[in-house]
Amino acid sequence: MEKQGDLVQGTLDMLVLKALVRGAKHGYAVAEWIHESSNDVLHVEEGALYPALHRLELRGLLSAEWGSSENNRRAKFYSLTAAGRKKLTEEAEYWRRMCGAIARVMQTA
Amino acid sequence: MRIWARVRALFRRRQLEKDLDEELAFHLAMREEKKRAAGVAAEEAKYAARRQFGNVTRIKEACREAWSFASLETTWRDLRYGARALAKNPGFTAVVVLATALGIGVNTGIFSVLNGVALKLLPVPSAEQIVSVDQIVHGKVRRDVHGEPGLFSYAEYKNYRANNHVFSGLLAYAPFLEATLGGENPKQLAGAEASCNFFHVLRERPALGRTFVEEDCRAAGARPVVVLSDALWRSQFGADPQIVGKDISLNRAKFTVIGVAAPGFRGIDPWPSEFWAPVAMQKALEPDANLLLEDYTGWLALLGRLQPGVSLKEVRADLAVIAGRIDQQYPGRTTTLAIHRATFMVRPEERRVVFGIGAVVLAAVGLVLLIACANVANLLLARASARQKEIAIRLSIGGSRWRIVRQLLTESLLIAFLGGTLGSMVALWSIEGIARFVLAHLPLVGPPLVWNVNPDLHVWGYSLALTAITGIVFGLVPALHATRQDLSTAVKGDGLGVIGRAASGGALRSTLVGVQIAVCMLLLIAAGLLMRGLFLAQTVDPGFEMKEITQAQFNLPSQGYNTEKAQAFQRELMASVDALPGVDEVEQAQVTPLSHAFLGTGMTPAGEVESRQFEFNAVSPGFFTMLGMPMVRGRTFTAAEAQSDAPVLVVTESTARKLWPGQDAIGKTLRGWEKKTYQVVGVVRDSQASHLGQTDGLFFYMPAGPKEQERQQLLVHSKGGDLATINGIREAARALDANLVVHVAKLEDNLEAWRVPSRIVAALSGVLGALALLLAAIGVHGVVSYGVSQRIREIGIRMTLGADGREVMSLLLRQAMRPVVIGAAIGIAGCAAVSQVLSKVLYGIGSHDPIAFVGVPVFLLGIALMASYIPARRATKVDPVVALRYE
Repeated sequence: MEKQGDLVQGTLDMLVLKALVRGAKHGYAVAEWIHESSNDVLHVEEGALYPALHRLELRGLLSAEWGSSENNRRAKFYSLTAAGRKKLTEEAEYWRRMCGAIARVMQTA
Repeated sequence: MRIWARVRALFRRRQLEKDLDEELAFHLAMREEKKRAAGVAAEEAKYAARRQFGNVTRIKEACREAWSFASLETTWRDLRYGARALAKNPGFTAVVVLATALGIGVNTGIFSVLNGVALKLLPVPSAEQIVSVDQIVHGKVRRDVHGEPGLFSYAEYKNYRANNHVFSGLLAYAPFLEATLGGENPKQLAGAEASCNFFHVLRERPALGRTFVEEDCRAAGARPVVVLSDALWRSQFGADPQIVGKDISLNRAKFTVIGVAAPGFRGIDPWPSEFWAPVAMQKALEPDANLLLEDYTGWLALLGRLQPGVSLKEVRADLAVIAGRIDQQYPGRTTTLAIHRATFMVRPEERRVVFGIGAVVLAAVGLVLLIACANVANLLLARASARQKEIAIRLSIGGSRWRIVRQLLTESLLIAFLGGTLGSMVALWSIEGIARFVLAHLPLVGPPLVWNVNPDLHVWGYSLALTAITGIVFGLVPALHATRQDLSTAVKGDGLGVIGRAASGGALRSTLVGVQIAVCMLLLIAAGLLMRGLFLAQTVDPGFEMKEITQAQFNLPSQGYNTEKAQAFQRELMASVDALPGVDEVEQAQVTPLSHAFLGTGMTPAGEVESRQFEFNAVSPGFFTMLGMPMVRGRTFTAAEAQSDAPVLVVTESTARKLWPGQDAIGKTLRGWEKKTYQVVGVVRDSQASHLGQTDGLFFYMPAGPKEQERQQLLVHSKGGDLATINGIREAARALDANLVVHVAKLEDNLEAWRVPSRIVAALSGVLGALALLLAAIGVHGVVSYGVSQRIREIGIRMTLGADGREVMSLLLRQAMRPVVIGAAIGIAGCAAVSQVLSKVLYGIGSHDPIAFVGVPVFLLGIALMASYIPARRATKVDPVVALRYE
């Protein structure tokens, strides 16, 4: 079962959702997207991505479909569901407020 | 959605595995390609991709966990494993399942009876909305009781009914009403006077005709109507479909039948009601009292149907306001209300008795279950040591202790559920038959009870909870013990029965044996005390003569007799009974000895201010001679005193001692009702004429004068056969009044009713004691056999070295008996404490009965010795050569 409120895991879930905003991707592409868009700052252990993907799929935030990749290999493609989109908006908002708050606290100190 | 995805996943396991493999392989391949494209060597690229990915196995496991009901699947695996382990060992399984079944079955059966008697809601529609209201009146105000102290007067009922805001309807009825149904063979019926909303509030619809309407209760005595029970309609009126509109006679008053209740409805008391009449007809049914007008007499039980959404708390608050307002009308009075969801046994007096007995019985069956648990725990412990190596290996390769404990617990829960199901099934299937058998073999002490012991949710819930708790109780200790071990020794240990091993778990096993013996001892001694009590009760000398005496009981006032008519009836009846062959004496008493009827009043001894509570009886002058109760001082009443209602009394010896210690009681005076002064003319020897097993407390006899004739009963001494006398008395009464129901019986029969409680308890405790003994014997036997099998090699060595069978035997027995003796000592000590309590509750129990306290322990120790001797003897018979090679 997932651990609610785990910052790292919650963040990973959010990153995965964000990665899929522009359309369906397979796991490898999600990993690559996170590396690239974070300018290689976020170094997730790539394997950890998969339990997260499966969990999100089970929760109905993602849907999955087998298709063929750019180099014509069978790959599992994930895309956001409506619930996933909504969840992402909420998470992003929460994250924004959190970051703002932490930043303010750090400045006053 | 999530659940469904998981359930689907359960059935697509293989496909999911394949998909997962493929998905991860794809990722690794892509990464590898990318590395190669960046110029990394092929071999190096593969490893780099893996490194970057992490531990594939662990990640797969994490993904699977996301998909599966991880804990459910683990449980399922544990269950299958446990089931296989149990199936492989059928002997062990049979013993533990049977022990559990016995323990849980007894508990479930007893609970279903208690549930049927005291916890089930009334058998009416939406019974959960019905609450009962009882009151306790404190303070120095006049309060007469007609039935039980918690009942209400008619005025109080009307007050609560008009002013409450919580009930959609509040009904009142008078329990304990009896009436004679007139006809060829007059018959005594149990019924109720009910408020006219009675059936409406209970939502009971009649099978025939109608039930009451408010007009039936408008004016006292106006509408003599009656609703019959289905059983009465069938038994007395041949299920006459034209019954509605016909007249019947109840206590010689004419009542018109307006309806027949539905077949399942037998009233709201533990005994079935056979008719219901409007409360306004009270005077017609009980001509000697006008209860509707007596504001100080409690005689009505109240039941209300809650308005939707109203809680018991709100009811209490709302009715307390009304009670407070009533209290203001009577200075010095305070009323407390008891409000509960209505069941058959809901009035405070009934609750106290039922819950008291229930607590004792549940404690006893709980102890039997405890023995069973200790037994099974011991066997599990023995088995766990046999599996020590397996467990040690699992622990040493990193299996978590919790995981293994959980698996062992799953196994014990499986045993508990097998046993619990078996036990509960058998118990619930047989309990109704057993209850009926027990009731049928009790001397008849009243109408048949409306018992419904059919299991309901309460019973199943209780049984389930008990089973789960049992499984955990007997599983947890062995499981924790088995997993707390020194790994290196256990793994290295080759499973041979070496001496050091005997110590492992030995202390725990001995403790468990000790507990079993202690609890068993407690139960057996208690059972022994109860049986001794029963024996004493049956052989007790109540202090007066009962042989060859017949009693005739009848209720003249209810049949409309006034004093003159009663005097004539009594005079003629006594004359014709006196003329019967064999009859040599006829006397009168208002209550016959030990008939469970008690008369009480307050009297003030001369020179004192406060009145004291006395029990009394009104008797004819020859009463004392007939019953063999000699006068210690003074004399009995003279015929002249009896004829003139003279204010004279005979007191008992202990009464005289208590009131006038060291003085002569003769000539002393007591002030009674209406300030009348009574003079003591005689002191009679103490007896147990009112309560068996208890010398009567403050007790006086007054002469059965002319004014008392309405309420007198007859006592007849005859030398001839009892049956002839009984029939003779019946005939004589019938000749005088064919419509009077006369109860004629041997006076000795009254003893039976006093013995019923101790008889039930003794039978129950005998059965429980036997069960406990059986379980404890199995326990001791099992532990000793296990010990022997574990130490067979040690025994072999000892015998090779020259020990003979006797030495080995005495060694084994000494070790086996040590926990037994300690447990026995604790059990005896515990029982000494418990018997103090028992002796207060049950008649005839001496708290230090030597036979129970010496005989039972000797018996139990004998059984334990035998249970250890049998396996120990096997040990001494082993061939040393075989023993050394054993395992």
